[in-house]
Amino acid sequence: MHDRQTFVVTVRGLTKSYGATAVLKGVDFSVARGEIHALLGGNGAGKSTMIRIITGSAAKDGGEIEFRDAGGNARPEAEGRRTVTVVHQELALLPHLTVAENIVLPRYSSGLSVFHRKRSVRQAYEALAIIDRDFAASSLHRLVGDLSLHEGQMVEIARALSSGAQLILLDEPTANLTAAETERLFSLLRRLARENGLSVVFVSHRMKEIRQIADVCTIIRDGRTVVDRVATSSLSDTTIVEKMGQLAAHAPTGSVSGVRQAVPVGEALTIREEGLEIALPPGAILGIAGAPAGPESLISALVGAAQSKRWSVSFSGWPQRFSSPHQAATLGAGFITGDRSQKGVLRSLPIIDNVMASRRVARGSRLAGGRENVECIDLLQALKVKAASLWDLPDTLSGGTQQKLLLARWLGVPSRLLVLEEPTRGVDIGTKKEIYQLIRDMASSGTIIVWWSTENAELLEVCDRVVAFDTEGRCAGIIDHEELSEDRLAELTGMAA
Amino acid sequence: MTEASTQQALRNGSAPLPIRQRESVIGAYRTEIAIAIAIVLLALAVGSQVPQALSWGNFANITQAGAPLMIMSLGVLLVVITGGIDLSVGSVFSLTGMVTAQAMAHGFGGVGASLIGLGVGLVFGSINGFLVTIAGLAPFVVTLITFAVAGSLAFIVTNGRSMPIGDPDFWLLNSGSLVPGMPNYILFCVVLLVAIEIFLKKMVAGRWFYAVGSSSAAAFLLGIPVKRTKFLAYVASSLLASFSGLLTISYILNAESTAGSSLMLQAIAAVVIGGASLLGGTGTAVGAALGALMITVIQNGVNLIGINSFWQGSVTGVAILIAVLIDRFSKSRRRAA
Repeated sequence: MHDRQTFVVTVRGLTKSYGATAVLKGVDFSVARGEIHALLGGNGAGKSTMIRIITGSAAKDGGEIEFRDAGGNARPEAEGRRTVTVVHQELALLPHLTVAENIVLPRYSSGLSVFHRKRSVRQAYEALAIIDRDFAASSLHRLVGDLSLHEGQMVEIARALSSGAQLILLDEPTANLTAAETERLFSLLRRLARENGLSVVFVSHRMKEIRQIADVCTIIRDGRTVVDRVATSSLSDTTIVEKMGQLAAHAPTGSVSGVRQAVPVGEALTIREEGLEIALPPGAILGIAGAPAGPESLISALVGAAQSKRWSVSFSGWPQRFSSPHQAATLGAGFITGDRSQKGVLRSLPIIDNVMASRRVARGSRLAGGRENVECIDLLQALKVKAASLWDLPDTLSGGTQQKLLLARWLGVPSRLLVLEEPTRGVDIGTKKEIYQLIRDMASSGTIIVWWSTENAELLEVCDRVVAFDTEGRCAGIIDHEELSEDRLAELTGMAA
Repeated sequence: MTEASTQQALRNGSAPLPIRQRESVIGAYRTEIAIAIAIVLLALAVGSQVPQALSWGNFANITQAGAPLMIMSLGVLLVVITGGIDLSVGSVFSLTGMVTAQAMAHGFGGVGASLIGLGVGLVFGSINGFLVTIAGLAPFVVTLITFAVAGSLAFIVTNGRSMPIGDPDFWLLNSGSLVPGMPNYILFCVVLLVAIEIFLKKMVAGRWFYAVGSSSAAAFLLGIPVKRTKFLAYVASSLLASFSGLLTISYILNAESTAGSSLMLQAIAAVVIGGASLLGGTGTAVGAALGALMITVIQNGVNLIGINSFWQGSVTGVAILIAVLIDRFSKSRRRAA
């Protein structure tokens, strides 16, 4: 941090209400030039709302926002907003255009200017080369739709830089990245902060990452700032969790062996591919680690999402391969997708339909409503979801809360197998622990759990066995709980920790 | 999680949070109420110019003229909710009329000929459904094809001539009274409207229509039978278009190859006025029916006031615009926090 700091953005006493609900009750937040700043808070604390107000996509009710340029001079608000770029989990890139076109597009915002092909490509190269010279040289003419998530993030950051961003706000950028990609992203951010004076605001629920990357942090709780720009190193993990209002996070969680004892005996589900066999007794929790290729193929096979000959299962009453997710669900194989926004939430349907969807399929119910209403409310309260009505749309809830809706779909449904993709993505630390416990409860009632996570610490905590895939999608090994460690996982999955 | 652990989780948690357990009727039908009010205002406005517009006789005119459009709109709505579109309804409507009239001319009775006519809907609905679900073609393209084919077949059946209705009792389908005191065209509208609304709101299979339209990929992963749902929507849409074709020839006692050509756009307009999004996932039967009613009231008003009927399209266009703006405004308030 510098001695004489320039604050790129300063927010004082920001308030915002939606109807009768006060979301922000006086938030303070300031970001200095060239710092990496972690913005923390539980689901629904008001982080997203504050960000939306800073970027101008929502109007404030009260309070002040001040933008300053590199020299410390105040900027008009409209101009200041344009120096702030948010990189969302779902990238805002145009998949049918090339990398170069995506990067230079904001420069053609008037729509009337003539597109100078050569100049544009050069500008795009210059922007991208700041980030990664090799990537810039090899990828300028690729379609954005063909890029990996990490590459897409680099393109978005390059685009932000080239259109004059002084502050980049990353919303859980590492949720879908491998460990190696995360490390590359972090070193890039550190370099841009140090050399280009870029300010980075980083939203994450992963304590380890916060420690790794953030110089300072701000914690928001219930619409108020409870920790205002304090050096991250001066706060202990416990303090951070406490300040976020999530003491429950430190409630003792059941050990894996404790769960084991409660598990009913019965036939094991066997998953096979050539030269490999995984037998899962009732109540087992199998973790899956590694880059998407391998886990996706296994999960598709387990839930009938895609037809592939690679995997087969044997379990009484089940076919070797499910023909569709419909067949899987009716035979007691549940699935909660990790692609919340594209393949998870039913955006135009009320909360109740979102929550009850899997139950309706599994039970073959014909009528909606009635007793479902009470059941749905019980589920929402068990997951501490705050909603005014069962008929609100899911978009009225925060991202983490929407994740809870997906989880509620299979929670408590008597099922033989439950496949989870990143079930705690976007969920705050306190809720994560609650989710772990709820899943353990399901396991102890005999459901076999298959849990894919890109967060190795999570696999260590929850799973009693982990199957690791390498970057090519091949199975690299199966590790029992006793031998699990982050290093071992990193080694097998081929991603440097 | 078992029942017991849900209870435990409840006890562990802080005070239970109040969540509305009953859907509020006003909340659920906000758009529909707004359209209903708009229709009343529109009727009053016409009535202030032409007093006879508010007579029972004119009310009967409006319902009788609007019934086929309303029934067709309900079918189109089902497709639109699943995220599709059905451009073939007007052609299916015309072809049904021609085939039914031709069947009567070949000695079939009213009932037999009607069943043959409904067969047209069944066949075209199945073709649409098959091409959209199994072949995976875009609904716009598929129904554009069947629109063209059914439209040309409607000419081929009689070589382009219009065709009088052979069965002298056929008018009973439209204007008879299965229920004493209520003409059939009103009965059919009410029964279909209520049945489809209940299906969409209260039956799980009806909720799947919305789920498929909201996100086909999410619905598939949830285990919802996406293809079956879409297929059903196209068959229902064509069948309802066929049925409204039957009602119309029973009313005017004459079948024409071009009878339905303006109806397809009107039906889509009715669905949009009724609050459905062409992106899928939203819409109600009540809304679509009111949309159809509004279009009919506009047409009737334009006639009564004596405005050149060429203006009808423009007035309908403005009505769509207003409806869509109202809908947008009322929805933006639901997206709090």
